[in-house]
Amino acid sequence: MGRGPYEKSGILRETSLAPLKSTHETFEIAYPFEDVEKDGKTRRELLKDELNVTVTLYYVPFGEFDGNEVVFFEEEKTIDLKTEWIWR
Amino acid sequence: MKRALIFGLIGCAGCIMLALNASGAGGPKPEPPPKATTIAELAERYDSSRCADCHEEIYDEWEESLHARSVLGSPRTAPTIITTIEKGLKLFPYSGVKSDDDITVEHLMLCAKCHLPQLDEATDDVAREIVATIRGWQQAYRDGDDDKAEELEETIESLNIGCMVCHNKIALIHKYADGYPQPDTVYGGQEGDHDDDEYSLMAEAPAIGESIFCGQCHGQGPNFELEHPSQCATAYGSYLFAYVAHGGSESCQECHMYKSELGHNMQSYRDDSMIEMALDVKVESQSLFWRKNKEEGVVPIGVIDVSMYNKSGHAIPDG
Repeated sequence: MGRGPYEKSGILRETSLAPLKSTHETFEIAYPFEDVEKDGKTRRELLKDELNVTVTLYYVPFGEFDGNEVVFFEEEKTIDLKTEWIWR
Repeated sequence: MKRALIFGLIGCAGCIMLALNASGAGGPKPEPPPKATTIAELAERYDSSRCADCHEEIYDEWEESLHARSVLGSPRTAPTIITTIEKGLKLFPYSGVKSDDDITVEHLMLCAKCHLPQLDEATDDVAREIVATIRGWQQAYRDGDDDKAEELEETIESLNIGCMVCHNKIALIHKYADGYPQPDTVYGGQEGDHDDDEYSLMAEAPAIGESIFCGQCHGQGPNFELEHPSQCATAYGSYLFAYVAHGGSESCQECHMYKSELGHNMQSYRDDSMIEMALDVKVESQSLFWRKNKEEGVVPIGVIDVSMYNKSGHAIPDG
């Protein structure tokens, strides 16, 4: 939609969350790793097996982070790959 | 079976008659009030402070709301009115506006239809005074003149959606059925005498507790009745066609006034209780070695799945 009343004529593109509906977003975050060569073989090793993830849902009234943004939701999570850290 | 059908039809006819006969205590279309010639005069006509003596709690709630500063806004509205003039009205070839001196009430109704509906009771001089006041306020801020900025901000704040906008001016929606709001009557949920010299009567406004009432401003998109339709608010359109159409049954008032316990301090995204009522967010995660593709091979990734359920009565964000 347009950014101000002078150019608004309707909803041109709907990006809001619809009522009574679920919206899903999936994020993939790579763990830091490096490929190590040993005895002529390459092995992929994890540099960190734990990630601290913060999920924040903002409403950004002016379309950018200018101090007017409002946090609707925030959750911190620690995820790990401790149980399965070697590439097989 | 036939008898049941007949009773059913009689019942339906009864409903229709009831609907046609439902009415508030409006009356014939009154003579329009004399045009206010200054901001002060218009603000005085709609001054809510006179209601505070008896309705202190409601007044205090309202004072916290954006309705109490509907022209100033957060303060985002007043500068947007200037943007509308500079980037819109002055650039449109047929608006008739080349300078601030050309601005009339009709031009400002683009914004004032909702932000100051009572502007239609003022002269074009008042429209120009509003624009000059907002410009002066902006300039005072730029100059660092805090006293002047505060003084002008108070003037802008004196123009608002006060008690008598909702409880009189726009109180009756279906005027052919319910009549026109009368100049001596406060419209709400009760009937009878009202202890006030100017508004000495109370009468019911049939729609004041319904979503359509809020929909008068928090609307359905472009305001086609204006010479130059614009679209700010779409909340009532979203409510009707995306919420009610999918089984939603609560009203604007139920969430924004009662469940939130905000009363006349109707809020939206700036209020924690409204945010709490708006969305259910669930975050799930897993970590795994993911065979991405031939080039990148197996990549260790964390997958964060965020599910957002909008449990409100309209799209988020909306207005």
